[in-house]
Amino acid sequence: MGNSLRVEGLCAGYGAVQVLDRISLVVKDGETVTLLGTNGNGKSTLMKCIMGIVPPSAGRISATVDGVEHDLAGRAPEQIVDLGIALVPEGRRLFPRLTVEENLLLGAYRRSARAAIARNLEFCFETFPVLAERRRQLAGSMSGGEQQMLTLARALMTAPKILLIDEPSVGLAPILVIHTIDKIRELKEGYGLTVLMAEQNFNQAIRIADRGYVIVHGRIEYEGASREDLANNELIHKLYMGL
Amino acid sequence: MEISTALLLNAIIAGLLLGGFYAAMSVGISISFGMLDVVNIAHPAFIILGSYIAYIVNDRFGFDPIVVSVVVSPLFFLLGMVLYRIYYVCFERRGQESLRGLAFFFGILFITEVALVLIFGVDYRMVSTRYGDVTWRAGAVDFPMRLAVPFLVSMTMVIGVQVFLTRTFFGRAVLAVAQDQLALRLMGVDPVRVKELAFALSIATAGVAGAFLIVIQPVQPAIGREFIGLVFAVCVLGGMGSILGTLLGAFVLGLAESFTSTFFGPSWAPAVSFGLLLATLAFRPSGLLGR
Repeated sequence: MGNSLRVEGLCAGYGAVQVLDRISLVVKDGETVTLLGTNGNGKSTLMKCIMGIVPPSAGRISATVDGVEHDLAGRAPEQIVDLGIALVPEGRRLFPRLTVEENLLLGAYRRSARAAIARNLEFCFETFPVLAERRRQLAGSMSGGEQQMLTLARALMTAPKILLIDEPSVGLAPILVIHTIDKIRELKEGYGLTVLMAEQNFNQAIRIADRGYVIVHGRIEYEGASREDLANNELIHKLYMGL
Repeated sequence: MEISTALLLNAIIAGLLLGGFYAAMSVGISISFGMLDVVNIAHPAFIILGSYIAYIVNDRFGFDPIVVSVVVSPLFFLLGMVLYRIYYVCFERRGQESLRGLAFFFGILFITEVALVLIFGVDYRMVSTRYGDVTWRAGAVDFPMRLAVPFLVSMTMVIGVQVFLTRTFFGRAVLAVAQDQLALRLMGVDPVRVKELAFALSIATAGVAGAFLIVIQPVQPAIGREFIGLVFAVCVLGGMGSILGTLLGAFVLGLAESFTSTFFGPSWAPAVSFGLLLATLAFRPSGLLGR
């Protein structure tokens, strides 16, 4: 029973602007892999390509879910979600005029997620007690940190095997970033997820990552085989610490 | 002017009954305009179409118009699906829904109206029902069955729609579709399919409301236009995207019209209705129950 993700030679862009240049990466079963890079280097575009939101111009994306390999090319986002791959999008994208509970239940729309709805809801409320307290409140009226928790919980309600997380720390106070990253680890461990997380906040990302890639101007410039590798890499020092 | 209790009570009852009918006419707009962002100004045309179908079957076979409308509602549902597909492919997908989409529905409104004129002429048509002339009396208060029967069926339909939208997975997707389509796709939902089926539901309610209309009053093809303002007013007054708000808005408008007709004369009724709408927009733009 393996859940993994493989990207090979992926190119993509918007019109004449090429954003991704021959990206190749692998996320193996049960790993947490982080995609590091500052703003505008193509992290979000890569996430969108994997989810079928942005069409690639070249390359191949495939995912293995429960031991079955699927080619993701030409599939619509909703079909990719249906395979068991979920994205926690940048900027949260909640349904602001629906309640917390309605947001969560929408997460469980797909058929196989409905079967697990009671268990997943209980797990979400256990992991994020604040969501249980506010289940009847409109999602748009919550604070940024609470909204980020709801976004994570909602993605979990889709009962994914592979979870993509795009910039979970954006717009959050430092203390909430730490909390969010801890929660991602909790979810991953509780659910045995395979995780690919794009993040700018290097120090927080490597706390939970097994390995990582550094993306600069749409190319993978460095591949760190372990947390230590990433922490000691010169390129990362240059990008993140101004050394 | 002295106001007798009986007159007051009758005005209230008539207003509520009328409001129930307005709710049936507006619930579809509350879905298409309020939830899907589809400005279907042709909605009243489908109400009139529903009236004429109820009329033909009633005229030929003597079946009850409301029963007929419920039986043929799947056809209206199909019609709604086809119409939304055309609208989606020609306008929405290209991002041209605002002005051209409006023109499209305006065209549908006129085509339907002209087609009905060509087939049936411009005469007023009515139906015969067993309860049409029956009035149930409780003391000094009248319950004309011509209004009460549509009221009861309407309440069932509107509450049914409300339960469907709030208690089912599909219904929640309808409530979410105008808020963020990409987020919905990330939940594994196809937003175009959701809009297609929800729009179809809105047209199905128009067909049933059409039968109510012809039970309540005689119908000719052009009167649909008179209801455009009314259904949008009810929807905005109640609050966009809220079926219960639409129901409340319909009652408010029904009561307002009933009171003005009773105490000041029927010609003032539209002025009061739209005065209420303007006041709502000025003081509570999100409507009575809008979220």
